[in-house]
Parts: sequence; structure tokens; C-alpha cells
Amino acid sequence: MSKTKNLYVALAFLAPALLAVGLLRLWPALLSVHESLLAPRATTYSFDNYLYIFADPVFQSSVWTTLLFSIVVNPLQIAISLGLAILLNNKLPGTGFWRTLILLPVAIPASVSAVVWAAALRPDGLANAMLGLFGLGPQPFLTSPQQALACIVLVTSWIGVGYWMTILLAGLQDIPKSLYEAARIDGMNRWQQFINVTLPQLRRPLTFVLVADTVSNFLVFAPVQILTRGGPQRSTNLIMHEIYTRAFATGDKASAYAATVVLILLMLSIVAIQFRLMGDKGDD
Amino acid sequence: MWLGEEILTTLKRAAGAAALAAALSSVSLTAAMADDVTLTLISAERDEVVAPVIAAFEASHPGIKVEHQSVPFESMNATIEARIGGGDDSIDVLFVDSPRVAAMVSRGYLKSLEELRSEIEPVVTPVALDALSVDGTLYTLPLWTSTQMMFYNKDLLDAAGIPHPGSEQADRLTYEQVVEMGAKAQAAGAKFGFAFEQIDRYYQLQPIFESLGAGSGLTGEGNLTPDVTNEKWIEGATFYSKLFADGVAPRGVPVGQIPPMFAAGELAFMVGGPWQLAGFTAAEGLNFGVAPVPYFASGKPVTPTGSWALAVSPHTAHPEEAMILAKYMTLTAEGAFKTVEANPIPPVNLEAFKLYSEWFAPKFPETGADAQKIMGYELRDTAISRPLSAGFVAFEEVMNRTFGDLRNGSDVKATLDEAQRELNSTLARIQ
Repeated sequence: MSKTKNLYVALAFLAPALLAVGLLRLWPALLSVHESLLAPRATTYSFDNYLYIFADPVFQSSVWTTLLFSIVVNPLQIAISLGLAILLNNKLPGTGFWRTLILLPVAIPASVSAVVWAAALRPDGLANAMLGLFGLGPQPFLTSPQQALACIVLVTSWIGVGYWMTILLAGLQDIPKSLYEAARIDGMNRWQQFINVTLPQLRRPLTFVLVADTVSNFLVFAPVQILTRGGPQRSTNLIMHEIYTRAFATGDKASAYAATVVLILLMLSIVAIQFRLMGDKGDD
Repeated sequence: MWLGEEILTTLKRAAGAAALAAALSSVSLTAAMADDVTLTLISAERDEVVAPVIAAFEASHPGIKVEHQSVPFESMNATIEARIGGGDDSIDVLFVDSPRVAAMVSRGYLKSLEELRSEIEPVVTPVALDALSVDGTLYTLPLWTSTQMMFYNKDLLDAAGIPHPGSEQADRLTYEQVVEMGAKAQAAGAKFGFAFEQIDRYYQLQPIFESLGAGSGLTGEGNLTPDVTNEKWIEGATFYSKLFADGVAPRGVPVGQIPPMFAAGELAFMVGGPWQLAGFTAAEGLNFGVAPVPYFASGKPVTPTGSWALAVSPHTAHPEEAMILAKYMTLTAEGAFKTVEANPIPPVNLEAFKLYSEWFAPKFPETGADAQKIMGYELRDTAISRPLSAGFVAFEEVMNRTFGDLRNGSDVKATLDEAQRELNSTLARIQ
């Protein structure tokens, strides 16, 4: 009997979160699926919207751009966060200060960061001024189709790295020192310790960071909207911005719903693959 | 009682109490709110611009308060889509960009104002009446119209030995002449030679193409057929792209930062709206003059026109009070004039326009008389409206992106071809 009561108590505490997930995530997702199957001015279900967006070169390029962005930004951010976490995982004076500094961009709303970076990346802005100090010529940055996506990678990494670093730092501090001592006794050098002790012990936090980072990078919107509006020449038209443009600028909600469903499926499959790859490789 | 049961019971009691409190408070709140109605007005203007008319309205209409929400211009479409499209009652009165009226009507965001025809007709010109209607039915109230002029920096021109352009119609320069003069000013020390205020927006750039005779970009029945790849469009787009490729106009500077560049003395010539006069007159150390908007020697002089209109949201919770506010701001001479007192743009209301004309020139001691003269003949002779079309919103969005790409140096023909393709695809979904 107490097991049922346990269940009720658990449900009661989870209820607000479950309600939020249901109302804010599941219901809009189901609504998207329903609306995406209705072509404009139609009353019967059909795949017209999907056929329309898959035939549209703008949508296709948006999907490719998002995948390219994902492949570049995820390993980059995780490698940098992990590196910083290891670097700052000691009690030397100054590490506290540096940790705060790196985490600070997370506390600023992404839109504010984007506005500031927009000013810095102007052709006559701060970034070019600093490059000038090193004798490098002024770069087009956001006005160039070749450099704009790299700028988005830079801005999102600047914002996000502090957050992921903090999580990995907590994971690092959970690793018992005795394991490192044992590894030293076994004759492993620093690199081998990293591969054989740190990484396996970090599996759970790393999986979380990988999945959460992938998802959040699929949903990047504010920097694109503020810095480039999808340009130049669609080089930064990530899929969230594409959906937003379809829904609110062009007013074509039907195809925006279809694009949303495609995004959800894309994210689910990639996250499923990630869980697979990071899954149990033996005992825990 | 077992611990879990205790918690559960407490939770149930708390939830019940909370629900009861919420219900009671909402009842008492509604009772208290019955006296004072607060209307929400949204626009893309700064608070200071609408402050005079709100103050005047609240003074003459006790019991109705007006709260202004300023939405950035780039987000207006999205805000209206989300809030009015979503049936939200949080907006009562809104500024509507006139060329977008047809698109908004086709999406059901505006309700017919035919019952006010007898009140509207006497205070507007027939051309203005057209801009307020779709297929002969009135949907919006007349607020502002617009025109443009060319501002020039006297000091930068003097440094380069360039004579100041005159302000008569006959003194109108060609684009080719102005760009040449701008480049000369740059050689003498100006940071940039020539720029448009709304540097990559359709409103501002439409005159380039209309002046060449390229057409507005939309044609056919209902203006739903795109036409941006004809020879003249390519010529106009090449001119525009060259401004940035040659460094006469700046890349990467967003629209809102162009006027401050002129005010800071970094720009020799700027084509912009009369609403800039207040800011430029107040700018320290800026000596400027005004001249008519340039034209193409092979074409005719053209200026853009049209501006915001006013509408009442179909989902407002206070339709009567909202209509009172909307009529005050548009159909009364006093109210309509108050809307431009802090933002010198011509009101559509003919009686308010008389008040505006008398007030305008003395307000700007050095340039007011010239500006008023220019505005008079441009509004009369060279103004051309944006195309009326249910697809205008989508068209404008695509074209603004296209101009952005051209500004950043993309190939002219390829970019226009891509715009044409995209417009064909998007507008087909609207028909």
C-alpha cells in the first residue's frame, strides 16, 4: 500500500513540472503536427506543406547550414569547456576570479550579448580595431558570407562555454583523488590519466553536456536575429530563424509548422544517436 | 497519519485556498477597474513621440488612461502576427504601416470602419482615402504621411570645395552628381560620402527603381506577381550595390545608426525624412542644409510617401474607448496635430496639416523654411506610394533581405534572380 502512496506523493511533487512539460512542450508539438498537415485554406490532411518546404532551396540550405553549424560548434564548445574546467580545477589564487569571469556571459541575456557583439563586429568596430593593433587588416565579419557563420559560432560559444564549463567542473570535482593516485602508482602519465580516469568518470556529466549543448545549438535564434537576420545570402539562416521568418514575417504558418516538426524529428534522432554512443560501455 | 498522506492533505488544502483567493481577488479587481479604463497603444515610435497626444487625450477624456508600448520596427510584423493573430486582447489601438493593410485584412487582423466614412472623407484627400481602404472598404484611420529630403553637411562640403545644393525644385541634383560630390567630400576628409537613412529598406530604396522606370517590383492582378529581374531593376540594383563596393556608403551599419553618423559629422549627404530635423538641429556642432531628393538623369524625380495609419484591434476588450482614442488621434485637428508635435512628419488630417504648416518653419530656425518648401512640392509632385497588395508584407521582407545582400556585395543578377524565385514561391501561397 505504501508503494501506491509513494507514487501519489511523487506525482504530487512532479505535478507542476509535468504540467509545464505538457502545456509548454507536448501540446504545442502535437498542435504543430496537426497544423502542419493542413495546407493553407485546406480542410483535409495532406503532406503539401512538407512537399513545399522540402522543395524550397531556402529551407534545404537552412537545414544544411544548421547541420554544419552543429558539427562545428558542439565539439568546439565541449572541448573548450572541458579544457577550461580542467585548467580551473585547482585551488590556485585567481581561479575563482577566472571562473566567475568565464561564467559571467551566461548571466547576461543572449540578446544583450548579441547587440554588444554587433557593435564590436562592425567593419569600423572594436574587433577590427584590435586586429589593427596586431597589424591584421580589417575583416568583413558579419557582412561576409564566409565569415558570418564563424561569427555566430564565436558569439554563441562566448555565451555558452561558461555554463558547460561549470557543469564539467562539478563533475571533475566529484572524481575521487584516490583514482588518480592509483593511476600514478600504475605509472600513467598526465595524458593517460586523462584518457583512463577523467574521461570515463566524466561520462555522465559529459553526456548531459553533449545532449543539452546539441539541443540548445539547434535552437540558436537571438544572435542570428540580432546580428545577421539570416544573411548575408542566407549563410547564417539557422533553422529556428527560418521557422520564425516563415511564421511571422512571411505569414506562412502552415509551412512553419511543418518546418518545426522536421526540426523536432531531426533533434530527436541526433540526441538518440548521442545517447547510444555515450551509453553503458560495461560496468558502472 | 502517514507522512505522505499529511503532505498530500496539506497540499490539497493549500491548493483549495489558493484557488478561492484567486477567484475572490479577480472579482474585486474587476469591480475596482470598472471606473478607469486603460488602453494599450502600440507603435514603433519612442515614448516621447506619442507623449503629447496621450497627455492631451487623457486631459480631455477623464476615466480613460493610455499606456504606450514601443515595439522595434523590425519586430512589428511579428508582434502583430503573434498578438493579434493569436486573438490576444492586450492590444487596443495600434499603428499600422499603410502598405501592410491589405495583407493584414486578408489575415483578418483589421475590422471594417465603413461606418466612419462620413467622418473620414471630409478630412483627407482622395489619394489618402485609397491608402486607408482595401477594395473600397475603409479599414484604417488616417495618421501620418511622409516625404523625404536630402540633408548635407555644410562643413564637409566646404572642406571639399563643393557648392551647397539649392532647395528649389529646379536645383534638384542627379544621383550620379551626388555620389561624385560625396566621393569628393570623402577625399577631403569625410568618413562617408552618401547614404540613405533607412539604408536597406524597401520604403527608402523604392524611389531608385521607380525613378529609373523599373516599376515597384510587384505587378499583375492584385500586385501579386513579382517583377524584380527586368533590365531597369538590374540597373538600379547595380547603382545601389556600387555605393557600398566603392566605399561611398557604409556596410555593416544598421539602419538606426545612420542618422547618428550624420549628426556626428561623419556623413556628407544623407537622404532621410523630415523627422530627422529635430535631432539634427539639436546636434552640437552640426551645420547642415536641406535639398530635394536626387533623381536619375534618365528618369524622373520620385520620393517615397505613406506612413503609419491607426487601427483598432478586432480583439480589444474595450472597443468603445479604443475607438474614442483612435478618432481623437486622427479625425480631430487638435489630436492629429499633437501626434506630430514631437515628431515633425506631415499629418494626413487636412485641418491638422494647416496647423502643422504654420508651426513647422519657425520651429527650425535655419532650415525650417527650406524644408517646408521642399516637403510641399515633393508631396504634391513626386510622391509615389508603395504597391497595394495582400502580399506586400512577404514582398517587403524578401526585398529587405535582398537589399541587405546587395549591400554586402553579392552578385546583382544572381541575387535578384533568387529574390524573384523566392517571391514567386511565397506569393503563390497567398493567392
